[in-house]
Amino acid sequence: MQCPESMRVQAYFDGEVDAVVAADIERHVEGCEHCRAQLQDLERARTALRRELTDYRASPALRARISAALDQEDSSRSRQRKLPGRAPWRTPPFWLGAMGGVGASAIAAALVVLLLTPLLNNPLVDDVVGAHLRSLMPTHLIDVVSTDKHTVKPWFAGHTDVSPVVADFAEQGYRLLGGRADYLDHQRAAVVVYQHGAHVINVFSWAADKRAGRNCRAWRGSCAI
Amino acid sequence: MDDKRGRFEAEVLPHLDAAYRFARWLSRSPAEADDAVQEAMLRAFRGFDALRGSDAKAWLLTIVRNCHSTAMRQQQRRVFVPLPADDDAQEGEAMIAATPDPQESAIGRDDERTLDRLMASLSAEHREVLVLREIEDMDYREIAAVTGVPIGTVMSRLARARAALKSRWREDNEAESHAVP
Repeated sequence: MQCPESMRVQAYFDGEVDAVVAADIERHVEGCEHCRAQLQDLERARTALRRELTDYRASPALRARISAALDQEDSSRSRQRKLPGRAPWRTPPFWLGAMGGVGASAIAAALVVLLLTPLLNNPLVDDVVGAHLRSLMPTHLIDVVSTDKHTVKPWFAGHTDVSPVVADFAEQGYRLLGGRADYLDHQRAAVVVYQHGAHVINVFSWAADKRAGRNCRAWRGSCAI
Repeated sequence: MDDKRGRFEAEVLPHLDAAYRFARWLSRSPAEADDAVQEAMLRAFRGFDALRGSDAKAWLLTIVRNCHSTAMRQQQRRVFVPLPADDDAQEGEAMIAATPDPQESAIGRDDERTLDRLMASLSAEHREVLVLREIEDMDYREIAAVTGVPIGTVMSRLARARAALKSRWREDNEAESHAVP
């Protein structure tokens, strides 16, 4: 059985009532066994939840991923700012309909330019190089540490949009270190990390619409191979 | 790093742990929570100019909640894209379940903790309102803003969630006392 005041008692417990109502409820609780028990229950549950519930925290890997995503967002914003003329989001909305067709052709043209531009002028390459350099900073390199490809490969299933090739080249002198999720080309890219001598090699894989996405797939040190 | 990034890091980034805790209780796995939070931080950064003056924590948690529901809706549609390779073809899908994800085993351990397990057994609606009220210490108005329902609904939902947790707790205690010889 519940006291009809139980909703107000809860609001009182949560500090949602003013002083006048609070005094009123306190008077009621003094004479009401149900509400006294309810207040005790509320208090006990809150204490237990605050004390015993696992205090989840964002992992360093997640912090690094977010920081990298914000870096990329920042750099793409500054690239847009360098473009001559009006920024696209400042265009008055009623123009959008009329300009739609022109816009589409412009995007198509931009894509063609992007595809024909030599590799090193491609902003994506900047992003890959940026991601590679970032990975060399302490604690950024690896999300899943393992020299066993049977551990590294399945890890990617929940963390990236592609399932990359994870091979073992230890006999050839390229030791598997582990894997990492990175953010490239607006998607969750998979990075397989190898070591050769003192060099760290990041192999990035991501799905680019119909392109294999592997035209610049490996970096040794800071030089492209 | 320009001014926007600096202001974002000062005002929004301090709530990253709260965002993650909330996402972790909304979703079923750490990986899902990671993704929802990363997407939410990116969207928050893009829409940062809209924040002005309002409460950054409630605002961020609202975005986390939206990202999580979007991800849930898209999950069925998402296609896992394997890159073609000879090596891959031989090893096949069987490998994926072969080694347990370390984070998955962490959930297994969490399950041993009574309150975590009881919380996990509640509905998403009840988990959400309990976490916002008891862990994040938000008032009814803020909870209403994050969950997109009127304050009256927050109050009744909170009452039902607390009652549900209490009855699970009681059932659990009874089961335990029966189990002990």
